[in-house]
Amino acid sequence: MNCNEVVREIPPYCYGEVSPAIEETLEAHLADCPACTRELAKHRKFLTRMDERAEMPDTGMLASCRTDLRTAISRVPAPVATNWLESFRNLWQLNIPFRVPVGAMALVALGFFAARVTPERFGGMKAGLSEPMFSNVRSVEPDASGQVRISVDEVHRRMVSGALGDANIQQLLLEAAREENNPGVRVESIGLLKNNVDSEEVRNALLDALTRDQNPGVRLKALEGLRPYAGNKDVRKTLASVLVKDENAGVRVQAIDLLTTHRDDSIVGALQNALQYEDNTYVRAQCERLLAEMKASVGTY
Amino acid sequence: MLEAVEVLSARMAQTESQTDEAGLIRAAQKGDQDAFERLVRSYDHSVLRVAMNLLRSPDEARDVYQEAFLKVYRNLHTFRFDCSFHTWLYRIVTNICLDHLRRRKVRREESTVVETSEGVVDRMSQLEEGAPHADPERQMWNRQLGGKIDQALESLTPRERAVFELRHYEGLRLRAIGEMIGTTEEAAKNCLFRATQKMRASLEAFV
Repeated sequence: MNCNEVVREIPPYCYGEVSPAIEETLEAHLADCPACTRELAKHRKFLTRMDERAEMPDTGMLASCRTDLRTAISRVPAPVATNWLESFRNLWQLNIPFRVPVGAMALVALGFFAARVTPERFGGMKAGLSEPMFSNVRSVEPDASGQVRISVDEVHRRMVSGALGDANIQQLLLEAAREENNPGVRVESIGLLKNNVDSEEVRNALLDALTRDQNPGVRLKALEGLRPYAGNKDVRKTLASVLVKDENAGVRVQAIDLLTTHRDDSIVGALQNALQYEDNTYVRAQCERLLAEMKASVGTY
Repeated sequence: MLEAVEVLSARMAQTESQTDEAGLIRAAQKGDQDAFERLVRSYDHSVLRVAMNLLRSPDEARDVYQEAFLKVYRNLHTFRFDCSFHTWLYRIVTNICLDHLRRRKVRREESTVVETSEGVVDRMSQLEEGAPHADPERQMWNRQLGGKIDQALESLTPRERAVFELRHYEGLRLRAIGEMIGTTEEAAKNCLFRATQKMRASLEAFV
């Protein structure tokens, strides 16, 4: 990868949107190229500047938009599906138990057997796995006949698929949520895990991502997942800490929105603390409103 | 007793927030106004934020909010769960925002900057004055930077602007952005590169 190619990959790299192979090549190039390293630093600084300019609608604006929308909708006749085509289409929405997993299993099975019976020359499955990679050479022994015996550790890449509820899939997703090198993988994993937030292990993984992950996209996904548990004591404690410490205004906005869903006097200190440093208008307004509702002062004395 | 009531109300709140979104959509499709309103409330903050970030004009953001949710209201019965509701809604919002940006380009208007009797005023910079305790120096810096960023954003094509804003402020994946604006992931990636290059050139003094 030359310098021009690296410069083109820097924007997606900063958002965690390059493939592992490109990421590896790019990082290897950066390690030896001061010019590209400077370019990366400048790009990161540009992104930080843009973060400072994020626009957040205030509560008053949101409330008036809602009122205007309600008025506009009251003037529109309620639309309903009426013709036979619509009714036929609605059949697909019938609530048949396990429709989605059964359908998915059937498709997987169909694909599997189709690949088995399709001859290789028509694109069917090759016998055996794809070519393995090796991570380490253990020993090299030449013998008298001119042959060489090499002992290597092989690494196989394989696709694993299964339902989200499957325990093994769940474990892999929890591992992927901690994948340090690829924020894209972390965003996807947290996005999937948040659908199973009833599990304490998943909830802890989301809390961990919310407080530790460097990528704001991952933290926002974790916040979305924690929404049903906004009343939980541990979750609220973490949200209060995020409100004070998180550098990303978008994350703080989501955190205060979750905190406002339940009244809880134990977060008064955190709200007062946040007000001392917060420069986002919306977050400030929400903190002040919550404190006023709890009859607490807006400052600490 | 009080504790039991608190536990019960916490559980009720939890159950309420766990309500199945698909169930809510189906109820709204059958004409349940309450379900529709709850659906709106789950997403309207994000919708307004997207519109504000894309258009940087509170008035236009309000128009987009109303136009988008009216469109959802009128067409919800055609939603077939082929994609997530979130993707469907964002596609509608992005398209409306792109229309606004294109119209703005045609009119060659600077939507956030208006002429008043006291001279030229940036309406967006006025919004920041709601924070009374913020550092004045920082506010000045923010205003200068904000003005420059607005100018830089105006220099982008509507599509470049949409890709940058959706990726940077909304954290959407390039693949999803490509789907929303009707293009490929690769084209969205190229668009992002062009947008960031143009903006960095405009903001050279600040970065």
